[in-house]
Amino acid sequence: MARSDATVAVALPRPLLSRRARELATGYLYLVPVAVCLGGTIVFPILKAMHMSLYNHVLFKPQEYGFVGLGNYARLLRDETFWLTLWNSFVWVFGSVALQFVGGFAAALLLHQSFRGRAFVRTVTLLPWIVPGVVVALVWEWLYQPNYGVINDVLLRLGWLRDRVAWLSDPGLAMPAVIATNVWRGVPFFAIMLLAGLQAIHDDLYEAARVDGASVTERFRHITLPLLRPIIIVATATRVIWTFNYADLIFVMTSGGPANATQITSTYTLVTAYTNLDFGYAATLSVVLLVIMLVFTVLYLRVTRGIESAT
Amino acid sequence: MDDRWILSRRQLLKTMAASGALAAADLAWWEEPLVRPRRAWGAAPVRFQFSVPEPKRTALVESLAQRFNQSQTDFEVKVEFVPQAQARQKLIAGIAANNPPDCCQVWDNWVGEFEGMGAVEDLTSRVRDWKYYKDVTPIAWQTVTLKGKILSFPWVVTNDGVYWRTDRAAEYGIKPPQDDWTWDEFMATARAFTKPEKNQYGFGMRGQGTWAVLYATEFMYAGGAQVLRDGKVAINSKEAAEGLDWYLDLFRKHRVCPPSVPTDGWRGIVEGFGRGITNMYIHNSGSSEEQKDFVGAKSFATVPLPLGPGRKRVSFYFSETLTGFKNAKNREGAWRFMSWCMDDEPKFMYCKTLGLLPSRKSLADRPEFTKDPAYQGFIKSFPFSIVSPYLAYAGWGGKLDSEGVPLFQQALVGKLTAKEFLEKFAEVLAKNMA
Repeated sequence: MARSDATVAVALPRPLLSRRARELATGYLYLVPVAVCLGGTIVFPILKAMHMSLYNHVLFKPQEYGFVGLGNYARLLRDETFWLTLWNSFVWVFGSVALQFVGGFAAALLLHQSFRGRAFVRTVTLLPWIVPGVVVALVWEWLYQPNYGVINDVLLRLGWLRDRVAWLSDPGLAMPAVIATNVWRGVPFFAIMLLAGLQAIHDDLYEAARVDGASVTERFRHITLPLLRPIIIVATATRVIWTFNYADLIFVMTSGGPANATQITSTYTLVTAYTNLDFGYAATLSVVLLVIMLVFTVLYLRVTRGIESAT
Repeated sequence: MDDRWILSRRQLLKTMAASGALAAADLAWWEEPLVRPRRAWGAAPVRFQFSVPEPKRTALVESLAQRFNQSQTDFEVKVEFVPQAQARQKLIAGIAANNPPDCCQVWDNWVGEFEGMGAVEDLTSRVRDWKYYKDVTPIAWQTVTLKGKILSFPWVVTNDGVYWRTDRAAEYGIKPPQDDWTWDEFMATARAFTKPEKNQYGFGMRGQGTWAVLYATEFMYAGGAQVLRDGKVAINSKEAAEGLDWYLDLFRKHRVCPPSVPTDGWRGIVEGFGRGITNMYIHNSGSSEEQKDFVGAKSFATVPLPLGPGRKRVSFYFSETLTGFKNAKNREGAWRFMSWCMDDEPKFMYCKTLGLLPSRKSLADRPEFTKDPAYQGFIKSFPFSIVSPYLAYAGWGGKLDSEGVPLFQQALVGKLTAKEFLEKFAEVLAKNMA
């Protein structure tokens, strides 16, 4: 009798992980490079700053290096300059962003109209945003220069000024002057963002509203504003955070002076770190800045979400 | 005539270009040619950090390093140029990370801070055997001596004087300032020089940077004040407040200064004078060469600071140092380069090009310094020059900038009285006597 070569089925060993778990693990493996990058560039520096804020770490006093717990935070509460810079930051951020928004919105509405040379005007509008911040600061510092600056010269020639004004040297004028510069720089950002939003709104909506007899103001209130709201929220939140952390302009134009009149918390942090070389205290300031911005973002998103759902 | 010997225009241009390139490769101011035998392989590198306040210095120092490298075969200096604003921070970070340069150029007021970190190479014994030790003026050694240790070479020295416009004084019929002029005469001259309708002011006061406080302190000293008395901070004295009030009133009350004062740093006062906005300003000799280019050598001169009410005055004397580090990788190379920079020609060229004064007597006595009207104010100030009192404690160096200057600006713009400023300032100094 012929033997038949029967194949006996052998059960494969049970895999260590279930199929679902393996799929999940593969997905996470793909995310590892990004997680490592984000962890290394964002999470680690934040944790390191928090760690540093608990130490007395003045670079030129290595013998005094040591753990101080919340000592730096207690020092911050007593630091008059810190509270002054916090108030200055508030004025700087909300003054800048509010005016940038108004200017940017006006520019976006204008650029949304069709007119001859619109492409050229759009490009020119973007210029202040393209120029590096330090260059903007140097140019405006020169424009404001009281003795030979262009602004004083023009105003004197027009007869609008009798004496030269020290725009950046007068504590009462220095903050408005740097805010004006920041507004000039930031208007294009809002203009472009809002223009993109305006272009996404269908003309049919305006057409229908027009047929129903809605006025220009009503169309703006009931169509333009609600449909632009998501962009306005994102753009404003982003700009507030940027402006709060933006130190270049003030640092170059006034170095926080005169007499701390333009010292905002981010420039104060910079001075504490790189002039005083007090890295422990500078880290404390950075952590507080981070917390303030986190609180602002959460509150802002919550409030705007509330408005959105109400409308 | 043989046509072969006639230069065509193209040949002439080529020849001129070639000679131009050769001349550029050499240095017009140097006595010896630049082209020399190349260095031996294996020359040990020497890291030299140089802080750059202005572009003119970059070319000068680069050529000094080249000259040194070609003068010997053991070492090769590599210059690390750092903007002046970041120099201190970069050095301290380097020291903290145990990776300092082998040597550096810094102002004397920073050396104490580095010494406080235990980082500076003690040069005392080596310097005492050095060939020019006795040729360096004793006060120059004082600027680099801390707790009895000589920590650096005083590369160049200078003190403060008053720059004034000779041509405008003649134009407006103003009596030229004399060497022994007084505060009243200073005020009268500043007033006479002030013509707001022409955008001209009598005095370019400095309101930003460390020296804003130092110039004000010189006036306080002329009023009889002192920063330290019997080892205690005494800058909040009555005499200091009176002297400071008088000085600040030049801007606050008498309006003989331009409105930009609170934000005018070094560049502001030098350019203000150079552009004809101000007719007097206080500075060291370091801007004299620049002013020769700006307003012309014949249009300005220098004079000592004015005498205070008690016929007292001081001029703060300081030095730009060459400093080496304990943890340097090439300490011998650093010593060789630093001591070479103190030799006749390198030192003379560095000083003359930048308008600073040599710390060595034999060089300072050269007619290029003694006969130049731009230096007279400084040379005549030597008898009453003192080392800056703020060099007394290492901890004061950074605090002058970070806390002293904002407080001074508050006094300048009237947010604090002179007395209030001095009380707060004295507190800062007292807290940092280490």
